[in-house]
Amino acid sequence: MLEPVMFTGGLYKHDLVVELVEDLGGYVLQKNVTQTEIILLILVPTEDMGLLQALAKELRGELVRAPLAGTEVAVVTPTLAIHHLPHSACDIAEYLRRHGSKTNMLGLARGVGREIAQINEYETALINEHDAAVFIFGNFQECIKKKESLYRNITVPVVVTGGPEIEAKDLPYAFEYVSTVGRMAHRARKATEIGSLDRIVESVGRALDKTRSSIAKDPLTTSPPRVMDSVREQVPDVEFSYSPLPIALNLTGVRVKLPYDAYKDAVKDVTFDEGVSLGEIATIKPSRMKDYILVRILSASETGFVF
Amino acid sequence: MDPMEVFKIEVTGQEEFGAKKYRELIMDILQGLGLIRSIGRLYVYVDILKPYFAVYGLLRSGIPPLTVKDVGDVMKVQGGYQIKINDEEHMADLLRVLGERYGRERVEQPARDIVIIASDTSPSELMVADLEAEFLQDLTDALVRVAPEGFRNRRNIMTKDSFFFIAAEESLTPEMVSEIEGKIREMENA
Repeated sequence: MLEPVMFTGGLYKHDLVVELVEDLGGYVLQKNVTQTEIILLILVPTEDMGLLQALAKELRGELVRAPLAGTEVAVVTPTLAIHHLPHSACDIAEYLRRHGSKTNMLGLARGVGREIAQINEYETALINEHDAAVFIFGNFQECIKKKESLYRNITVPVVVTGGPEIEAKDLPYAFEYVSTVGRMAHRARKATEIGSLDRIVESVGRALDKTRSSIAKDPLTTSPPRVMDSVREQVPDVEFSYSPLPIALNLTGVRVKLPYDAYKDAVKDVTFDEGVSLGEIATIKPSRMKDYILVRILSASETGFVF
Repeated sequence: MDPMEVFKIEVTGQEEFGAKKYRELIMDILQGLGLIRSIGRLYVYVDILKPYFAVYGLLRSGIPPLTVKDVGDVMKVQGGYQIKINDEEHMADLLRVLGERYGRERVEQPARDIVIIASDTSPSELMVADLEAEFLQDLTDALVRVAPEGFRNRRNIMTKDSFFFIAAEESLTPEMVSEIEGKIREMENA
């Protein structure tokens, strides 16, 4: 069992952390360098956590659990206009990131209004590439109920946020509803506002756990972090991608941020120590996000083996 | 405490939370744009089922135009006038106005906060900016920001001492406008 954690500390000697994680059979999911500080998102075997904690203490770093690490969450607003951004949407996205999630903000083209709100096929497909979605709505319960049509066709769990209290039975297509967020024109700074952000993170955590437990019933042929590691090793061009996170992890695969046409074969040919290639155990298809490559790992029932 | 004398907000249906939140939202936006002190009374009426959003406000006394003597000290010096700038916010407007009035070759800026004009006429009473027009522009911007984004059929009637803004999803009909006017009047008289 791998434990998702976030290491925050000085840049000096952070290589020791990376080396230890690799020696323990863990994975470094993300590395963010901000001047003299570094933030590492790590998956480490649960039984070896003590070793990493000791090293973090020695380096005067901070090690916290990041329950959302290795997942991608879409934060969806009705549009990207000043009415919805930056406050509640950016606060939520930022808060999810602090808990380890890779967050993408998505403004719908025509998501505004009560009667006229709509979502198109492209937007739905793009949201479905994520592990969960957070829809940010406003302060009127009539509008929130009416806007259910926006996420009715979304297959990943959708956490809906808004202002008023609404009973779960009134929003049957939402995974959960988090109240007291709504539209606001200031940053979340009061304890109650921060509490609401915590509730969103908890709710997204529960949504991801539900997906994880359904994956566990028919496990993936291999784990997404292992695919990420192999792609990084065997397709070195990925390190030259301008994206801050060249390989984004999902619960069921990865998104490789290289042009699909030029690199699909290289990704397909990535081979594992067991002798199988990625093309045999995963579907490689174009992502809806730019022209990236979407890798979806097949389940054990489809390939007949797990490694 | 509200800086306004009257601030009423009414929303149809079971939307107490929405009304409370919109009150905060309006205050935040008006404060952010520095408009709150110029509005005396504010009435907001929202019917979320129709749906439309209306704001009626009474403005406090008019804002006089900003003149050169308001932004700096004007002194007579040899060969012209010197302006010692105290408020740099309107510097660009000031230089533009002086250039237009006296010609650019007669306006000199030897230091950041000193402007010298080679002329016998005092610039004290020259108008640098029409603050009232700026205020009305900012107010319109604030109202567009306050109204829900999907409400794109808008009408904004501004007079010297009041404004009346309506935004709706559907086209505005004369019946709808008179209904809203009636509701706002009820709120005023309540």
